[in-house]
Amino acid sequence: MRRSDLPRILPWAVVLMIVGGDAALCARSPGDLDRFLINAILALSAFATLHARMLSLASAGFMAIGAYTSAILAVKVGLPVALSVPCALLLCGIVALVIGLPVLRLTDVYLAICTLGFGEVVRILIVLLPGLTGGPTGANLSTGFPYDAMRKTSPAMIALFLGFLIYLFWSLSRSKTGRAFRAIRERPEAASTMGIDVVAHRSMAFLLSAIIAGAAGAFYAHSVGSLDNGDFRFTRAVDVLSYAVVGGAGQWFGPLLGAGLLTALPILLRDSLGASIGFLRDFAQLPNILTGLALLLVVVFLPGGLVQSFPRRTMPHAGRGARPGAQSGDVPPVERAGPVAPSAWGETPLLAVRDLSRVFGGVEALRDVSLRLEEGRIYGLIGPNGAGKTTFINLVSGLDSPSSGRIIWQGREIQGRPPHRIARAGLARTYQSMRLFAEMSVLENVIVGHHARIRTNVLTTWLRLPRERAEEAAAREEASRLLAHLGLSELADQAAGTLAYGDQRRVEIARALALRPRLLLLDEPAAGMNEVETERLGRFLIDLKGKGYTLIVVEHHMDLIMGVCDQIVVLNFGRTIAEGTPAEVAGNERVREAYLGRD
Amino acid sequence: MALLDVRDLGVRYGNIEAVRGLSFSVDEGTIVALIGANGAGKSSTLRALSGLVPPSSGTIRFAGADITRVRADRIVRAGLVHVPEGRAILRPLSVEENLELGAWTRRDHTLIHGARERVYELFPRLAERRRLPAGSLSGGEQQMLAIGRALMASPRLILLDEPSMGLAPVLVADVFRMIQSIHESGTAILLVEQNARQAMRVSSRTIVLSHGRVFREGPSGSLLSNPLIVEAFLGKA
Repeated sequence: MRRSDLPRILPWAVVLMIVGGDAALCARSPGDLDRFLINAILALSAFATLHARMLSLASAGFMAIGAYTSAILAVKVGLPVALSVPCALLLCGIVALVIGLPVLRLTDVYLAICTLGFGEVVRILIVLLPGLTGGPTGANLSTGFPYDAMRKTSPAMIALFLGFLIYLFWSLSRSKTGRAFRAIRERPEAASTMGIDVVAHRSMAFLLSAIIAGAAGAFYAHSVGSLDNGDFRFTRAVDVLSYAVVGGAGQWFGPLLGAGLLTALPILLRDSLGASIGFLRDFAQLPNILTGLALLLVVVFLPGGLVQSFPRRTMPHAGRGARPGAQSGDVPPVERAGPVAPSAWGETPLLAVRDLSRVFGGVEALRDVSLRLEEGRIYGLIGPNGAGKTTFINLVSGLDSPSSGRIIWQGREIQGRPPHRIARAGLARTYQSMRLFAEMSVLENVIVGHHARIRTNVLTTWLRLPRERAEEAAAREEASRLLAHLGLSELADQAAGTLAYGDQRRVEIARALALRPRLLLLDEPAAGMNEVETERLGRFLIDLKGKGYTLIVVEHHMDLIMGVCDQIVVLNFGRTIAEGTPAEVAGNERVREAYLGRD
Repeated sequence: MALLDVRDLGVRYGNIEAVRGLSFSVDEGTIVALIGANGAGKSSTLRALSGLVPPSSGTIRFAGADITRVRADRIVRAGLVHVPEGRAILRPLSVEENLELGAWTRRDHTLIHGARERVYELFPRLAERRRLPAGSLSGGEQQMLAIGRALMASPRLILLDEPSMGLAPVLVADVFRMIQSIHESGTAILLVEQNARQAMRVSSRTIVLSHGRVFREGPSGSLLSNPLIVEAFLGKA
């Protein structure tokens, strides 16, 4: 075996070892099989939230709701499992929606604390309702939940459900929804300005995670045959999270590997230690300590989890047929849904900004800025660093809300609307501090820009409808054409984060154009480009104008600004200090003093 | 002997060769400009020199010692400091705290104090704002701070990655004046700039990179009038 084969073979050896080891353990004591399957389901519930960049510890709580609901319905009401389990999942879904509304506004640690609190509230409710749940001790359980009445599932049933989940996550990973989740995980704000509804996607992920955890709980109840509120403590939520962390939350099969490893390890260690070293048998915590050590080693050496050792697949569809051969690229002309409706006072401008202000804690970043944009022209926005240019772009693209003033897009007020709706209305932007999806390939980055126009959804992907494949292929074709036109074809398969600054800027422009906007907001597109590259960019922008696009360009390269702009607005300390043609602005005394310098 | 001597340097990111077989040197107290198109390997070269990425091949000698696989913090101690692209100042910390971090590798408080006073002399604007959070500075002042922080280690060589990027035209001239005054204090500078024409005007030698290799190298004055370089990298004046 050549040394270069090792990185390719090693991951598969790990998978084989984990799957093989688990299978061997289950063959020896079939009673363990349920536990393996249930933990795998729980791992996927953790994946569902982590995939949307949410650190949720609600899994134990939803597991408890699923377990107790299904058990109560089966034992006390007498429903068959085929009805009690779906009812339990329904309740989990409803609870997830109710607590999701306020909780999903939070991120990171705050979300973790809130969901942790939720889990504890569920457990306290269980304790406070002894008539229904058996109360704080397991003592009531034997009378409350007769063992035989509870044991109603078979491993086959749980395995079937797990198989369904695997198919679901596998197809999700190849659908546009999966791509949207990857975008959200890397750069939520950039995803939103690409027309992706971040809140809706996060709610969907939270709901899915809750239902999956609830199912795991219901299966647990019917498999173990007794319930104790101690089964759903905080530590359970941490266990579930550690499956995903050890396995790696980057790909759907990572948490499954983590669950397989962390379920088997304590059993194996207990058996082998107990058999070989007699005196250690008294030291009951040793297997847990060793398992913790293994967890630590994985986190230190493979921060991305076990899946990190797998070769990265940037292209979910790579290798299927020939690459779309778009050698000579082009940008499609602007699509007009219809001419801008003329109002009673004459032509409505494409974008009108009236008295726009934004105050940050007493500092006026923008003060009473007004602007009228005619379609098919290039507008320059210049001014010293800190003059409010980026604030202006953030307000127009919806990432920030104005303190006062109005933004009117084709006659409709859009200030305060969420960024994904503004993007879908035809305003696209790039970022000064670039926000590409660094882990995705350049081509995938551009395909994310097509999100709003790809009409397939998770359902069509699950059902593998031909339309989905056709739409994906069309998006790839168009994205490749855009890349070719920007001279980026050679870089299409590289991870976007590895590109040089100036190349990343061009990918950002391609990604924004993939939205087929009518207005393009470019925040310092030439930063990091040399003179020759800047000249080429200038020609490209003029070409876009020729195709009907309207542009706002924020730049410090005066050659570019003076060369391409029809109209220039100069900001200083948040106010407009000059406005006019390049010649007028260049000759303006205040502009020379504040910005251009005298020489 | 040259202060910095790079032989056959290679930098790889996975399958991508950013720098291949690059050789050049920087003499004590001189300014050398490193120019080239996007993706030519300029930033990767600087990152390899300061120990932020391990080189895949070649040797880097600094002040006579081999620093090829030496840790980044030890390279700073040896007197080679990197001012990265995008400035990387610590926004919530005050101007003075940012400067003090630049002297992290030094122990002698009188020397640190002296270095700080020299930075304030060089950039009086920073002295005026010493108690303010660095994030509240304007772009040009942040660039001053990034360079000042590098000077706190009293380096013999500073690597400047695009110091004029994202700055208003009126400030770009300031940045090149700063570079000139650092040069006059005797510190050598390896300057990466997209503003190639101006970088070549302040430097004594220029290295033009293309696809990770040296494309042309020579005295800046003669390269400035080389039609090939003008055509490919400088554009019409």
